Amino acid sequence: MSGAAVSAAGAPEARPAAHSWREAPIQYGTALLTLVLVAAPLLPVLYQSVVDRPLYDAGKELTLANFARLASTEGFGLVLWNTFVFSALTTVIAQVLGTLAAVLFGRTDMPAARVLGELFLWPIYLSALVLSFGWYTVYGPSGYLTMLWNSVFEAPFWDLYTLPGMAAIAGVSLAPVAYIYCMSSATITDPSLEEAARVSGAGTFRTLWRITLPLLMPAIAYSAVLNFTVSLELLAIPLVFGEPAGITVLTTFLYTQGVAGVRPDHGLAATAAALMLAVVCFLVWLQGRLLGNTRRFVTLGGKATRPRPFRLGRLRWPLFIICALYIAATVLAPIGVLVIRAFASFLSPMVPLLEVLSLENFTQLFEEPIYARAVWNSFVVSAVGGAIATALIAMIAVIVHRSEFRFREPLHYVALFPRAVPGVVAGVGFFYAIALMPGLGEIRNTIWILVIAFTMRYIPTGFGAVAPMLMQVSPDLDRAARVQGADWWTTCRRIILPLMRPALVACYTILFISFFKEYTTAIFLFAPGSEVIGTALLHLWIQGEAGLVAALAAIQVGVIAVCVAAARAVFGVRLHG
Amino acid sequence: MAELVIENLTKRFGEVVAVDSVSIHVADGEFVTLLGPSGCGKSTTLAAVAGLDRPDGGRISVGGTVYFDERTGTFLPPEARNCGLVFQSYALWPHMTVFDNVVFPLTLRKVPSAERKRRVEEVLALVEMEPYADRYPHQLSGGQQQRVALARTLVYRPEILLLDEPLSNLDAKLRDRARTWLAELRTRLGLTTIYVTHDQIEALSLSDRIVVMNGGRIAQIGTPQDIYERPADPFVADFIGTTNFLPGRVVGAPDGGQALIELEDGQRVAVQVERRTAAPGSRVTLAYRPEQIGVVAEGEAAPDGAGSVVTARVISRAYVGGRWQVGLDLGGGPLRLETARPPSGEQVRLWLPAAGGILFQGSTDVSSE
Ligand SMILES: Nc1ncnc2c1ncn2[C@@H]1O[C@H](COP(=O)(O)OP(=O)(O)OP(=O)(O)O)[C@@H](O)[C@H]1O
Ligand SMILES: [Mg+2]
Repeated sequence: MSGAAVSAAGAPEARPAAHSWREAPIQYGTALLTLVLVAAPLLPVLYQSVVDRPLYDAGKELTLANFARLASTEGFGLVLWNTFVFSALTTVIAQVLGTLAAVLFGRTDMPAARVLGELFLWPIYLSALVLSFGWYTVYGPSGYLTMLWNSVFEAPFWDLYTLPGMAAIAGVSLAPVAYIYCMSSATITDPSLEEAARVSGAGTFRTLWRITLPLLMPAIAYSAVLNFTVSLELLAIPLVFGEPAGITVLTTFLYTQGVAGVRPDHGLAATAAALMLAVVCFLVWLQGRLLGNTRRFVTLGGKATRPRPFRLGRLRWPLFIICALYIAATVLAPIGVLVIRAFASFLSPMVPLLEVLSLENFTQLFEEPIYARAVWNSFVVSAVGGAIATALIAMIAVIVHRSEFRFREPLHYVALFPRAVPGVVAGVGFFYAIALMPGLGEIRNTIWILVIAFTMRYIPTGFGAVAPMLMQVSPDLDRAARVQGADWWTTCRRIILPLMRPALVACYTILFISFFKEYTTAIFLFAPGSEVIGTALLHLWIQGEAGLVAALAAIQVGVIAVCVAAARAVFGVRLHG
Repeated sequence: MAELVIENLTKRFGEVVAVDSVSIHVADGEFVTLLGPSGCGKSTTLAAVAGLDRPDGGRISVGGTVYFDERTGTFLPPEARNCGLVFQSYALWPHMTVFDNVVFPLTLRKVPSAERKRRVEEVLALVEMEPYADRYPHQLSGGQQQRVALARTLVYRPEILLLDEPLSNLDAKLRDRARTWLAELRTRLGLTTIYVTHDQIEALSLSDRIVVMNGGRIAQIGTPQDIYERPADPFVADFIGTTNFLPGRVVGAPDGGQALIELEDGQRVAVQVERRTAAPGSRVTLAYRPEQIGVVAEGEAAPDGAGSVVTARVISRAYVGGRWQVGLDLGGGPLRLETARPPSGEQVRLWLPAAGGILFQGSTDVSSE
């Protein structure tokens, strides 16, 4: 022991080799990369909207003519009106359904409430494209239920090829968002307010209406703006159901004007994109304001005690049956029938299912090199791209929250900015960026352009999964490492990043799923050789290959289901919110 | 020579001046304690020495190395300072075993692996934690974690050792033992140390010198005895030990080293004045440690020596195990002392020795709790 004392008290150690010079290049490099990534699609769009000819032509001149031209384009007013009606209807449907579900599944004694709540969430895990095909297979003109209905009654009362029809599909797929926000507020809100009302003699429904609902208002308002924004940006449903019926919204306008048309009018497309960007920026700003209010409201509540559930009484079972039917009709049927369709050569209520079961769709799908390649590309983009994006997001997060970097506030802002960039705008923007920048020609026809575009779009999503956990790691842990002689980068590598591993795994899983189902940006950017499942689905859809569409969609559903299940089982990760 | 010189250190957080022009000179091998109420700037001072926060002004140097100098713009990053800092929260890395935690600073210093292993074992032996090398921090008790944190800091032989309330997370018993152990370790290693605490017993028993801080400024620097027996102002007197304050007025010129003070109710008390001169008529505050006040039983004569007998009214009495805590009112001011027997009547006679009182100029709003 005395020997130990002598040695520990010995001459001080030489100072550790100083690596402090590494800090600046890493931080500036990451910040610059993020800035370039986020600006890459935006600048070309904004630039294209104020010049008089395509970006790649010589002799451009600055002009505001595009805005005047857009305003006077025939039918553009109708496009804006359609967009507004579609988004507003979608939002109303989503909010009503989501709020009802939150109250019924979260606050009452309805049987099987947990299971119903889980099923209610399913649509957000899937891409709107796959959901559209699911709805088509069940409720389309030759859909399974449509035919069943036709065989008994007259023509069905529904028509998906209308604004209300489209809004119904979109509303159902966005209702989980409202549900999640209401749930997190309903469970936090102080139950004593409700209890007081009940004690003073108010009945169940009166209490729900007068007390619970007003308490949910901030959550409903915030998710309403969120859902309105998402429905503005929605491309799949208007593309599948709106276009054939001649109903154009902003996203489909951008798609047809920007890339799909015979002679794309870039000036118009870019101007429309700039307009959309402005609107969504405003909505995201509004979300920020409302979120601040929500937090204030929620923290008013006391302890996180679980409120006593309301008794539904005689209505318990009737309400359960209505909810079960709703889930069956809007969640189980579209997904289930689509998957069954994948394993059948033909699907009709008149023909027994067993007779038509086959794997033909899949064999046919994989015989076509394009489609096999699309599946493979989707995997590569999600697995490799997800990893690259996770690495970038981790770097941004440690710089923003764990460094003295001078520009960390601006970096934070830039990293979250893609929230305000709709997928279609990012698609158009990267499309222009490739045309504009000489160096990017190389990656033009590869999947790497997709990796870049997807990464840009999902930085905020990944950041949202990583930052809260990072802020829970005590700063003393990295300060201790610094004092002991580790420079900033060593501290990140050895201390902070290993401690963040669970958050990084969650981030990677979320990005994998998001990349795997992403199509909006991809359909602007893919080229022969770089197809992904989303683009191949649209391609097959246009050719009318319902069976192959179903098979490909089933693959996507299957992979995502496995990922979600694995993530929940293994890491206990919540993949939404 | 690792002497630490802090000159005019200033650190602001927005409007708040957390540390206000603090100067401390810690000699090589000296053990200095920063003592003060919560929020007085102790941790901020340590963080400035360790380089975790950039101060707004002043100069810090250790041995010949300038850590920080506001005038020349010098600022060494924490990793280049070779300080040892033990955090209040210990800050053990939860994803590493005890061994990995302790070996980390040696790996950074590129110590050869055989020597690394030897030194980790050695330092773990020093803190009596050898058997726990393979455990993770969450498998250790608070006291054990504290020892690992200390080992992790000692293993690379820092030039100065900074300890930020290392015992505050321990329960009273463990704390007692840890204090003894720390005192032993300190004599054995002889490192230049700054120790932060707001526990006066820790400060008094461990330190060579104590720096009492208040509101970001230094209230007094001195040896434990200095601080306890000759507090520079009522704040220090109040913060170190329980102190009774009596407001009064000087009557009659100091005579033969004694001054006569008249309390608010007219009773008079004689106190010794050494350095402080007490001008007749000026308002003063008298401070007494509880243990210096004696009780004179009814009919008994006052003890020998210089001092005064005063009468106080009994307000409260409470049995606190073996002793009685008595609350008194003396000339309108509250007074508290402990006695072996409870006072019998409504009044008690107190003996205030002339040497035991400390005289402060002016009236003070410090009230003893
Ligand atoms: N990061 C910060 N931002 C703003 N103010 C701070 C920050 N850190 C400390 N302060 C303020 O500086 C003052 C001194 O804080 P410091 O942590 O040094 O106190 P302390 O003496 O260590 O207290 P304690 O005994 O409670 O640990 C306090 O008023 C505190 O509120
Ligand atoms: Mg402190």
